[in-house]
Amino acid sequence: MDELTREFLIESQEGLDRMERCLTDLEERPQDKELLGDIFRSVHTIKGTTGFLGFKRLEKLAHAGENLLGMLRDGKLTADRDNITGLLKLLDGLRAILKIIEASETEGDGDDGALIELMHTLQHPEAISAAAPVARSASQSFAVAPVAQSAPPATIVRGGSAGPPTLPESTEAPAPPPPSAPIEVVADAPQPEAPKAKAQGTAASDSTLRVDVNLLNRMMNLVGELVLTRNQILQATALDPNLTVLSRRLDMVTADLRESVMKARMQPVSSVFSKFPRIIRDLSQMLHRKVKLVMEGQETELDKSLLEAIKDPLTHAVRNSLDHGIEPPSVRQANGKDPEGTLKLRAYQESSHVIIEVSDDGAGIHVERVRNKAIERGLITQERAANLGERELLQLIFLPGFSTAEAVTNVSGRGVGMDVVRTNVEKIGGKVELDSRPGKGTTLRLRIPLTLAIIPALIVRSLEQSFALPQGALSELVHVPPEKASTAIEWMEGTPLYRLRGQLLPLIFLDRMLSPGLKTDARAEKDNFIAVLDADGRRFGLVVDGLADPEEIVVKPLSAVLKAIGLYSGATVLGSGDLALILDPGSIASRAGVAMRGEEEQIGGTQEAGEEEAVTRSEYLLVEAAERRAAVPLGDVLRIERIPLSRIEYFGYRPVLNFEGQLLPVEDTGGVIAAAQGNPEAQLTVVVCREGNRHVGIAVNHVLDVAAGGDLFEAGTQTAASGVTLLNNHVTGIVDLGAVAPLPVDQRNRQNLHTGQTEWTSLPEEVA
Amino acid sequence: MNTQSSLASQNSASGQLARASRKDKAAAALVEMCSVRVGQTLFGVPITHILEIVGGTRPQAVPLAPDFVGGLVHYRGDVLTTVSLRQLLGLPAQEGKQDILVLESAGGCFGLLVDSVGEVLTVSSADHEPNPSVLDQRRRALFAGAYKLKDGLLVLLDPERLDPMRLGGLGASAA
Repeated sequence: MDELTREFLIESQEGLDRMERCLTDLEERPQDKELLGDIFRSVHTIKGTTGFLGFKRLEKLAHAGENLLGMLRDGKLTADRDNITGLLKLLDGLRAILKIIEASETEGDGDDGALIELMHTLQHPEAISAAAPVARSASQSFAVAPVAQSAPPATIVRGGSAGPPTLPESTEAPAPPPPSAPIEVVADAPQPEAPKAKAQGTAASDSTLRVDVNLLNRMMNLVGELVLTRNQILQATALDPNLTVLSRRLDMVTADLRESVMKARMQPVSSVFSKFPRIIRDLSQMLHRKVKLVMEGQETELDKSLLEAIKDPLTHAVRNSLDHGIEPPSVRQANGKDPEGTLKLRAYQESSHVIIEVSDDGAGIHVERVRNKAIERGLITQERAANLGERELLQLIFLPGFSTAEAVTNVSGRGVGMDVVRTNVEKIGGKVELDSRPGKGTTLRLRIPLTLAIIPALIVRSLEQSFALPQGALSELVHVPPEKASTAIEWMEGTPLYRLRGQLLPLIFLDRMLSPGLKTDARAEKDNFIAVLDADGRRFGLVVDGLADPEEIVVKPLSAVLKAIGLYSGATVLGSGDLALILDPGSIASRAGVAMRGEEEQIGGTQEAGEEEAVTRSEYLLVEAAERRAAVPLGDVLRIERIPLSRIEYFGYRPVLNFEGQLLPVEDTGGVIAAAQGNPEAQLTVVVCREGNRHVGIAVNHVLDVAAGGDLFEAGTQTAASGVTLLNNHVTGIVDLGAVAPLPVDQRNRQNLHTGQTEWTSLPEEVA
Repeated sequence: MNTQSSLASQNSASGQLARASRKDKAAAALVEMCSVRVGQTLFGVPITHILEIVGGTRPQAVPLAPDFVGGLVHYRGDVLTTVSLRQLLGLPAQEGKQDILVLESAGGCFGLLVDSVGEVLTVSSADHEPNPSVLDQRRRALFAGAYKLKDGLLVLLDPERLDPMRLGGLGASAA
């Protein structure tokens, strides 16, 4: 394809996207001259260029649309629903031809006669009633049937502007008399381009540049390389004081560069959100629902490839909400709700994730129906179902083959279930959460990582080789010393199990799995490390020989031959220059057969979440700071970082850590930082904890152990003492995380975050 | 450089590098071959297929990979799958560092692990002979005939036949 045609395709598609947005806006503000002008220009540009490139079919169609738009713009017609539906059909028609051009470089030989006819008919509104058969035949052939029906229109509110939903007035208002002039005159009349808009266009293009995605991918790769090289240089120069300054500078520049390139790949979620007004408009007409769409946080940015990946799951969720969640207006009214339902799309960033929420105020999910359906489909047994709580039942809709849709509609219920949504999101390292309140509504929350290419991973050793375990799947690490191995690891007829806080955890020995012939009788004599993994809800312990540092790894694809093995999701180059295979916890679980019972376990697991929390409450991480011991509640510990002292920076007088733009206050009550000051090579251990919604770090010298705390009672009164616990028979003070003073943050944002956490949330009543 | 070329072929299309695997009857063309040694045998790979020669690498083993995979190496920002010629020929694995020819084939790049890389030889397509029929099945599938040199044979390797994708498919059907 030549450069000119490609340019034209990109430009036209952008123009049509803009037109689509404008059209849905137009429904709300039918008199808006600027919108009409915008739409007119999109079509006009296409017409002009196609004539030049010799695409006759496209030109003819665009020309017909332009005539109609010209009349609308000049106020000779009013943009009523018929017109807008017609224009949307025109848009689809134009898009279809562009697609053909893209694929084959020719326009194809479809017949646009009916569509052109429709454009003409719409220019004579009075003729519609007179020549009804003509209009109907034209509209039917383009499936504009809903226009004729009295489906309630969808109104769209952007950015949560709380104005009352306005129905397009024009539906009632009589259309202005059509011009008596024949169409040709209108078409031949000079079309003045709005000079104002043109000026705006150039201003925008001056500061932006269109860049090939392949180039960006290549840059990302190279930056990944640079990160690797930097890691190696940092390791190699760690002992040479002459190079410290240089390597630190390299470290900084690399981090900045990486961030910039990542930013260049970012796109606002509005690029995905923008197609929803149209989808919702069409769907609400088809399903006879009244729906108001509210979109928030459209400026939130996400990596382009991730945006592509969430497009389908999101569309599916929205369809579900409309089809199963939001009730028909009559039902809503009967239930005392606003007949117009609200569908909310919300995006916001939360640390290294972007959260995308699809929430509706529909009927919610009927857990009883979910239970019955799951039994009917043979997904769970009757007894199990009887024992499940509400939350666990909700999780059932993510099982493959689940659908509560009574009838298969052409909107949802066609077998593409919520399991696909979950699989797609998990494929990119995200998570799906579901909340539903019967009668109140449902919220589906997609938790998407900011980037794909670089992931945090824990490096483990097995078979004298390094492997990388994605941190996302890792929930905790357990060390089993050699002398305890024989008692701690229990065997049930050849199946190794470990008692983790009273619950049996299936174990998988990595070395045995990777080298089937291996004899592991000598296992008792060495250290065992159990990485407790959670892969798609399947919990198991992976036994490895050793642990190395966590590292940010750059994922490199594997060749097809190695991908076929199934256990590796990629490979990476470590700071030491060694290669490491990236383990795929999901496939490891499947191969070991954790899959089936894991599904149940996950469901059962949530049920016991409360209990488990109670257990973890009394478990503590024993740390040592400046030769004093202290306990940190294990449930609050997020991770432990070993960092050079130089990473600590100061915000005012307070020590803080900068984790890729996330500021972490570091508490130094033990005086560890102060004591190490002046020693440039000092290393520091920071225990990162959760305190409410924020994260805080605690500077310590060492992490000693994890132990269950015993209650201590005040002598005489026998009341439980607070802030202190008995750990390994020593009285140990508990670190009060709440006492760590918050960083001064923008109070508005903080407010936002809080509402994000507390707000009720959920998903459609029945899910396909 | 020890170039072995017959005078007769030198006056024919000298700059042209014909596909070595094709036997050209009429005008004998000159082909440049990178010679590599595995075990006792001298092999030749047309240099037009070689992207780079990386010496002294220590490939990272991949547990559970097919036998012919010699491991992974880091090559220019990518992770390269290598094919071990020793394994393919059924020779015992060699300890220590090995040389790698980075080859380009239809399925992408891959590395060929060899004992050592020798000089580039110029051979004439007139000296090419197809695989002898007595060669065992496995070798016949891998080799693309041989060139008769003054002091021995140069077994021609066709990168397409060594592509791990193809070998993987081959292994599956054989098993």
